[in-house]
Formats: sequence, structure tokens, C-alpha cells
Amino acid sequence: MADGRQEADELFDRILLADERFRGEGYQEGFERGTARGLQNGRRHGASHGAKLSSEISFYHGFAVTWRSLLEGNADDRSRKRLKALEALLNLIQRSPLEDPQSVKLQEDMEKLRAKFRQVCSMLNVSTDFKEYIKTAEGTSF
Amino acid sequence: MKEALAEVQRISAHPDSRCWFVSWSPNGALLASCGGDKAIRIWGREGDLWVCKTVLQDGHQRTVRKVAWSPCGNYLASASFDATTCIWKKKNDDFESLTVLEGHENEVKCVAWAPSGNLLATCSRDKSVWVWEVDEDEEYECVTVLNSHTQDVKHVAWHPTKELLASASYDNNICIYKEDDDDWECQATLQGHTSTVWSLCFDAAGERMASCSDDRTVKIWKEYPSDSGQGVFLVDSDLSWKCVCTLSGYHGRTVYDVAWCQLTGALATASGDDAVRVFKEDVTASPDEPVFSLVAQVTRAHNQDVNCVSWNPKEAGLLASCSDNGEIAIWRFKEED
Repeated sequence: MADGRQEADELFDRILLADERFRGEGYQEGFERGTARGLQNGRRHGASHGAKLSSEISFYHGFAVTWRSLLEGNADDRSRKRLKALEALLNLIQRSPLEDPQSVKLQEDMEKLRAKFRQVCSMLNVSTDFKEYIKTAEGTSF
Repeated sequence: MKEALAEVQRISAHPDSRCWFVSWSPNGALLASCGGDKAIRIWGREGDLWVCKTVLQDGHQRTVRKVAWSPCGNYLASASFDATTCIWKKKNDDFESLTVLEGHENEVKCVAWAPSGNLLATCSRDKSVWVWEVDEDEEYECVTVLNSHTQDVKHVAWHPTKELLASASYDNNICIYKEDDDDWECQATLQGHTSTVWSLCFDAAGERMASCSDDRTVKIWKEYPSDSGQGVFLVDSDLSWKCVCTLSGYHGRTVYDVAWCQLTGALATASGDDAVRVFKEDVTASPDEPVFSLVAQVTRAHNQDVNCVSWNPKEAGLLASCSDNGEIAIWRFKEED
């Protein structure tokens, strides 16, 4: 008799607590699904912005290397100054922590790089109007 | 008040337009003004009056925001909303356009010559500060682009003796730059103002700096060398300038300009409340806690915003101000002992 009562209690408990149990399971399932989706979105976001940033930096690199080879033969004062600025730009590119997307210095380094590029353009009398190469990544927020 | 500001002359300098800025030539003989009419006017004294000697037109496509004389007095630089900076060379009594500096993305807000005359700084709404080097052939070359501000840069000023540059911005901060290891770097960011910093200037010795802001205050900053033992152990170079005094409660609106007289040490301000004010320092106060008091003011100086004040570098007490109503006013600050 006592056994029967215990069984009945358990049965009632199960019914009474079902709501809570299912809610818990649902939460867990949803949480996992959300985590997976967040990871996916984050990865896509990172890949797209990483690509923009890297294309911007690669553009600066190609620009600097090309101008360096164009000026290398000249020994006049002006060319030497320009070459020095180009070297400084290449140095900044080399030193930027591209391998580490979580670097806290990334934003600051990019600002320095963009500033140096503008200075180099001014020295070379080249217009900085390279919007299709550069602007894409400029709005990147970290 | 024993001291007073007496009006010497009032000139409709840029009629139907704003007069943005006035600047005395280093020898104090000429005054340059610029405005919304895209023109620069040069004023010289004839008898007791200041008269227009030359008008520099066609240099700019838009408002000329500021003008600056080179330390030798033979060149004039003008910063314009058309994104360019013009360099003018004095030839006899006239000026000719020597070169145009391009590079800023949009409105150039200010231009300033370093005391050596070999460097020029410009700043712009594009948030950057540029330093240009002048060579013997009068060629200008950009030596650095500095992106230390996060907003519109309103003003740049050089230290009177050292190659130290300060800039004021819409981001409420002041930045101090120095050439370090062959490149220019922001050495310190001074925070304190709670709104746009419109202008700043150094005292004659370069030990202190005054800044003025949209927060209606003027702040005095003092430089402390890292080893001064002023109670702060300066590990971070950012602490090398400390705010030692704040003038608040005097200005009813934005303070647009502040000028420190290199001869008398008097501090003049230009404000959006249409007043020109002069402050003097209490000489008995401690240099670490200076005290300034209002000694003279003209409350309806121009009927509109006062944009700029400038002390004549040679004639003590001679002050020029200019306003949104296109006028220049020349004042004499008299002290009685």
C-alpha cells in the first residue's frame, strides 16, 4: 500500500515538473543551435572583413613596391626622400600584426598605415583617390 | 575696474560675410584678415587709422578659415574650406600665390608656421594633422600625416621655441606631437574639456598653454618634465601636461579663441556671447596653482559671435578681434597702476 502511494507521488511529480524539464531541455537545444549559428555568422563576418583588410594592405604593398622600383635608380634629393617614405610604409606593412586578428593594436596600426600612405601619395603627387581598393575596409569596426 | 578696453577703430572688413580670423605680421605692422567671402585682406596703418592695403582674391574656391604669417614675415599661408592651403609670397607691397598644398580630404581648418619657418602644420575636418617641410627652393613636402584625433581638428599651434605641435579637436581633446626617431608621433593626449576645443595658444616662454572650448571654459595647462617630482610619478608621457587652472563662469557661450599676449602676459578671449574679455594673472599665486581674474571686458563687442582675438606682437595692449558680422575691431587694453 505504501509502495503504491510512493509510485503515485512520483507519477504526479513527473507531471508537475514536466513543464520545467522541457523548458530546460528546450533552452539547452536552442542555446546550442544559437551558438552554432553565431559561430557561423562570426566566421563569415570575420572572413569578409579580413579579406577587405588584407586587400587594402596588399594594395599598399604593391603600390609601395612598384614606386620603389621606379625610383630606385634616382640619386637626387627628392627621390631619396620619397624612397625613405616608401621604405617607412613598407616597414609599417611588415610590422602590422596581420596574423593575429585579435590584436588590440590592429586598429591603431591600420590608422598609422593609412596616414603613411596618404603622406607618400602627397610626396609622389599622386591622388589618393583609390576608393575601390581602400574605402571598402575603412568602415570596418572591430 | 582700473583696466579697460577702449575701441580704437571698427572696420567692415568682409562685408556681407563672416570675418573668421585675424593675424598680425611678426613686426606688428600689418594685419591679415580672412573670411567667408573667400578673400584675404591685408591692413596697414596710415596715420591713426588701419586701411586696406591689398586684397588677395582668387586663391580659394571657398571660405578662407585662417591665415598665418611665416616668422620672417615674407610669406602668408591661408587655410580654406576648399581643402587646400595657399602659400603667398610678399613682393614689394603685394603678394603672389607661390604654391597650393593639396592632400586634405576636405575643409582645412587651420595653418601654423613653426618658429624656425621650416615647418608648416595644417589640420582638417578629415581628422588629420599634416606637417609640411619647406626646402630652400620654396618647395613644400609633407613629412607626416597624424591621425590622433577621432573628429574634426579645429586648430594647430606651435610651441614658441621647440618643435612641438599642439592640436585641438571636436573630439574634446588636445594632442601634443613631437618628432621622434625620424617620424612624428602624438606624445600626449590632454583630456579635460567636456566639449569641442576650439583653439589653443602657448605663453611666451612655452611653459604653459591656454585652451578654450565649447564647454564655455578656458583651461591653463602646464608642462611638467618627467623628473619634476610634482607628486605624480610620470611613467606615462601622457601626463607631462597638467591642467593647473580652469576659468569658468565668465563666458555665456562657446569660447572660440584665446590669445596670450607675448609682451604683457594678458590673456584675451573671443566668445559666442559677443564679448571680448581680458584676464590677468595674479603674480603672487603659486605657479602650480595660477589664478587669473577678469580685468576688462566689452560685452557687445560685435553684435554677433566673436571668432578671433589677436594681440599685436610689438605694440603692447593693441588687440584685434573679428566677428561673424564681417567686422574687425581694434582695441587698446589700458592698465593703470
